[in-house]
Amino acid sequence: MSSVLTRRPGAAELHPVRTRRRWTVTKVTLGIAVPVLFVAVWQLIAVLEWVDPFLYPPPSRLGPGLAALWEDGRLVDATVTSVRRVILGYLLGAVAGVVIGFLMGMSRVLRAALEPFSWAWYTVPKLALLPIFLTIFGFGDTSVVVLIAVTVYFFVWISVMSAVMAVPTGYREAALMLRVNRWEMFRHVLLPAALPEIFVGLRIAAGVSVLMLVGIEFVISDQGLGFLIEQGRTLLLLEQSYVAIVLVALIGYLFALLVKLIGRLFVRWRDEDNAIIPS
Amino acid sequence: MDQIDHLTAPGSTGEEKPAAPRITVRDATRSFVTAGRSAVHAMGPMDLTIGDDEFLCVVGPSGCGKSTLLKIIAGLLAPSSGEVAINVSGEHRIPIAMVFQDYGIYPWKTVRANVDLGLRLTGRPSAERREIVDDWLARLGLTEFADAYPGALSGGMRQRVSVARALAIDPEVLLMDEPFAALDAQLREVLQEELLAIWQARRRTVVFVTHSLEEALLLGDRVVVMSARPGRVIADINVPFERPRTGAVRTDALFAKLRGELRTSLQPQVTAQFDAGKDKR
Ligand SMILES: Nc1ncnc2c1ncn2[C@@H]1O[C@H](COP(=O)(O)OP(=O)(O)OP(=O)(O)O)[C@@H](O)[C@H]1O
Ligand SMILES: [Mg+2]
Repeated sequence: MSSVLTRRPGAAELHPVRTRRRWTVTKVTLGIAVPVLFVAVWQLIAVLEWVDPFLYPPPSRLGPGLAALWEDGRLVDATVTSVRRVILGYLLGAVAGVVIGFLMGMSRVLRAALEPFSWAWYTVPKLALLPIFLTIFGFGDTSVVVLIAVTVYFFVWISVMSAVMAVPTGYREAALMLRVNRWEMFRHVLLPAALPEIFVGLRIAAGVSVLMLVGIEFVISDQGLGFLIEQGRTLLLLEQSYVAIVLVALIGYLFALLVKLIGRLFVRWRDEDNAIIPS
Repeated sequence: MDQIDHLTAPGSTGEEKPAAPRITVRDATRSFVTAGRSAVHAMGPMDLTIGDDEFLCVVGPSGCGKSTLLKIIAGLLAPSSGEVAINVSGEHRIPIAMVFQDYGIYPWKTVRANVDLGLRLTGRPSAERREIVDDWLARLGLTEFADAYPGALSGGMRQRVSVARALAIDPEVLLMDEPFAALDAQLREVLQEELLAIWQARRRTVVFVTHSLEEALLLGDRVVVMSARPGRVIADINVPFERPRTGAVRTDALFAKLRGELRTSLQPQVTAQFDAGKDKR
């Protein structure tokens, strides 16, 4: 059977502005609708009493829980503490990871010397090191920050090092013909070539840093959102736990989004969303 | 990458053209050892001298080691045996420029920034650089795309960016690896003429790899034919057409005759290389 394949302009070609705007609206709507739907289902489950609403408080009970935490200032305190810890730890770890990642990506000798050792450390659950850090840095902020930094460091280090090593030989050779020194090779070739992949690593590390934060605060139980979650659990103030969990999720999301936006400022030569798949 | 640094000093100091050749390839070979496979003998032994300000074209079957030869001259690869010597004046920070077969331009730099890069690295003042870059962009028909990223360019345009970047450096030795391969036939002729004019106005040593015999005869002072892998020189002909030349030489009777000769020496090599590739499976 013969048929005619016709190629005509589609919506995107005929109304480019409108199509793009429409996609933006769709994207934002979908992004909001999914969590809203999730909350609705959760509420429904509680209302229908499919689960015990005391053990699994519905979203409608989080409002009062939030108000209580807000009034005595504990929520603000905990959030400020947690955000401060995670940002400090992340920055320290990310800077170290980027620097060491580049140094190792650019030097075969450094790689040979440090790679096996680093991989071994990478696989150690950092929470297992908490007692050591508590002994060294004392009970409180410093230990938390350092432990987050160490965790972030390993994620960033690996992504930076592999991104640098994956820079195609052709790019390096073209630069060698221009007789670049190491700094110029870094500045004009390796850094920009590796940047998109580095930002993927930085985004993953942003999520991991929040995971780590809550884990540590859970264990040492001194301050912060992790502490609120843990305290809510032990005192059976489950609304408190849930409010803190939602807040943690929000912070993690905003953090990763921030890193993504910063990445987009630096990587301007690439289309953001160009994955083509058969529809 | 150190080979470039121990180049011999120029032989003579006077204004007289030195009798010594610009590039000497002496008994050079290159093998590649890749994990899990026996060594590939890619090139040589090869002997070749390239005079100062000579335009040498290299033709040969695909995979015979032409890019390998250029990379050895460039200092990006060391020869496995033998030696390659290049005379440079020592006045240029970048004495040798190369146009890569796969472009070698940077997607994170705009067209202008790509062409500018070599000049920028030599530390020239930016006003001067701008003038030079604008000039080369115009000559290669890229002005309109000066601020575009290479991702938005066609293959042929990217290759022109690569050519512009090499020419903007104004090197003593220019290595070009099939620089016009991705261009359509018409644009190719335009750029051949442009390159002829550029080179005839300001001569320098050029080693130009191409698959097109016409291109080789039009541009070159000399054409070298390489054998099937491992590539050696099997023919070396002088192209007698007067300079300055134009595309008009294509219609010369001698042009057709030389092309026939080149084809005759090249054809069995192409077949041999192709059959060798088949036998491997
Ligand atoms: N880095 C490398 N590692 C292993 N083998 C290589 C490498 N570079 C080149 N070769 C081999 O050396 C031989 C010559 O390659 P080269 O690129 O010099 O060919 P060429 O003459 O430029 O071919 P073409 O005309 O197709 O560009 C080929 O058989 C190739 O497989
Ligand atoms: Mg080649």
